[in-house]
Amino acid sequence: MRYVPYLIKHLRRNWVRTTSTVLAIALCIFLFCTVQSVLATINSLLESSSANRLVTRHAVSLVFNLPLAYKARIEGLDGVKRVSVAAWFGGTLPAEKEELDAESSSSTTSFSNFFPNMAVEPEPFLAMYPEYELPPDQYQAFLQDLRGAVIGRKLANRFGWKVGDTFFLESFIPPYRKPDGPFEFVVRGIFDTDEARYPGTDTNMMLFNFKYLYEATGRNLGAGIYYVEIDDPDRAGEISQAIDDLFANSDAATHTETEKAFAAGFISMAGNLALLLNGIGLAVTFTILLVTANTMSMAVRERRTEIAVLKTLGFKSAQVMGLVVSEALLLGVIGGALGIGGSHAIMWMLTHAPGLSDALTGIGLSEINLQPLVAALGFGVAELLGFAAGFVPALGAYRARITDMLRTV
Amino acid sequence: MAMVDVRDVRKVYRRGSEELVVLDGLSLQVEEGDFAALMGPSGSGKTTLLNLIAGIDKPTSGQVVVAGIDVGRLSESQLADYRSHNVGFIFQFYNLIPVLTATENVALPLLLTSLSRKERRERALTALKVVGLADRADHYPRQLSGGQEQRVAIARAFVTDPKVLVADEPTGDLDATSATEILELMETLNREFKKTIVMVTHDPRAAERAHTQHHLDKGVLKD
Repeated sequence: MRYVPYLIKHLRRNWVRTTSTVLAIALCIFLFCTVQSVLATINSLLESSSANRLVTRHAVSLVFNLPLAYKARIEGLDGVKRVSVAAWFGGTLPAEKEELDAESSSSTTSFSNFFPNMAVEPEPFLAMYPEYELPPDQYQAFLQDLRGAVIGRKLANRFGWKVGDTFFLESFIPPYRKPDGPFEFVVRGIFDTDEARYPGTDTNMMLFNFKYLYEATGRNLGAGIYYVEIDDPDRAGEISQAIDDLFANSDAATHTETEKAFAAGFISMAGNLALLLNGIGLAVTFTILLVTANTMSMAVRERRTEIAVLKTLGFKSAQVMGLVVSEALLLGVIGGALGIGGSHAIMWMLTHAPGLSDALTGIGLSEINLQPLVAALGFGVAELLGFAAGFVPALGAYRARITDMLRTV
Repeated sequence: MAMVDVRDVRKVYRRGSEELVVLDGLSLQVEEGDFAALMGPSGSGKTTLLNLIAGIDKPTSGQVVVAGIDVGRLSESQLADYRSHNVGFIFQFYNLIPVLTATENVALPLLLTSLSRKERRERALTALKVVGLADRADHYPRQLSGGQEQRVAIARAFVTDPKVLVADEPTGDLDATSATEILELMETLNREFKKTIVMVTHDPRAAERAHTQHHLDKGVLKD
């Protein structure tokens, strides 16, 4: 500790260089913490997917619907327990009057309050999703009201909605719009989830009856996707293949995969997202390592005489080496703290800023935050970066002979 | 017993296959409390001899015994301890740390002791008072004149109360007035604080201040 003031004085010697090095480390740790937090949130979402649920969609794209007649044929396959039609509704609340005035556009909807909403067949869907816990009376009320909707606890808290409340949604997907205006919904139930049993389950969403959508849009819709529950998760590959084989030569061929694979694809359009983000993070870290190492080398080279003086005064080579490494570690501490702080701040902004938070919610990332483990890892990376950058120059200081260094004065 | 006893020392530098003999069987004694000047032309081996006495270099052969310690036999780590306890080094170009104040520069060698921060500061201030710079305690090197910087460097050299002070052309970078002040200060340290001083100098006027003068030429003592 007695050397800390000495180290701080040295860092202040060339504040432009010190500041830029600290900012470089901070940027690296900021990226590391932010990327890892996003990945942790995505993983948490994926882990909430059940292994015995499959998703069948159009083989070409999610944009195309599948015939409703497929349901019965899928149900007929060996190992299939139940099937539910589902459609991503993409409904948004109608824009407030002020928003319309401000935008002066023809849009009548507002994306500032977007949340996930989906049309499903209530009975089979809720049967295959035990994580959505709905009181029996609310479940019955939902079944009996075509305009009924069930919403998650977080969504209810967000808008202050309670059972019996009415609201309107209008889809941004043209086939899901009706000519006489937005869809009217009545909150018939509020579902909760057991976080311990079903970690990562998002209750910031809404479900309503597919039949309502079907009837209101002129009975001309297909299924966006089919949720398929199977008896044995070990047969997921085999059953997926059987479903796709069933429609292989039809106009609407299917692509079936596990819910987890579907969620991964839907969130990021790639299972390689982690690889991509980690790759970028690694490249940035390596670049900043080089920058920091160069800075430390320059700092040590500039101070050859001082190092010689320290050794002449009686400082051991290991102590001089320790001072150089400590200086680099101190840069890591400051940069790491700034990076972690910045990451925490940006995630707080993303999850609290109007518009941005809704966009994240729309892709299921409403819970993104800096986890303590990620912050600790980020701090570790900063220190490792500092150590790696400082070690070689420090070793040079360790090995340098006093007479050689004094001769260069 | 001599405070500094150099016995038949050779120092040879190797550059590839070429050997450069800098000190060639040199012997020298400096008694305790003496103020010795080493003189000679450039390349005569004065600074090399000083470095051997200060323990920042090792002889190729022969013995360098300072305060009863055979410096040539010490490991690198033991040499560091030897320097911190026994030797105060005064450089030609002062070599103060620019980011530290005068007090902090003087207190730097005390970081190696078990003294508290307060005790280190008190000792450094006392040393600065001895060299007449108590009023410049919180000044940085850039705020001091050359003579003042050298006086701070001298305070740094004796703050740990070493047995021997070695000075490598301490007045070489100073004007005549400042050089006189520095030499008077060194005389004071020798006379009142009983410090044994070995000083390398080109300047005959500086050498006159010493009690004994030794002349080197091509690695051997001429006197």
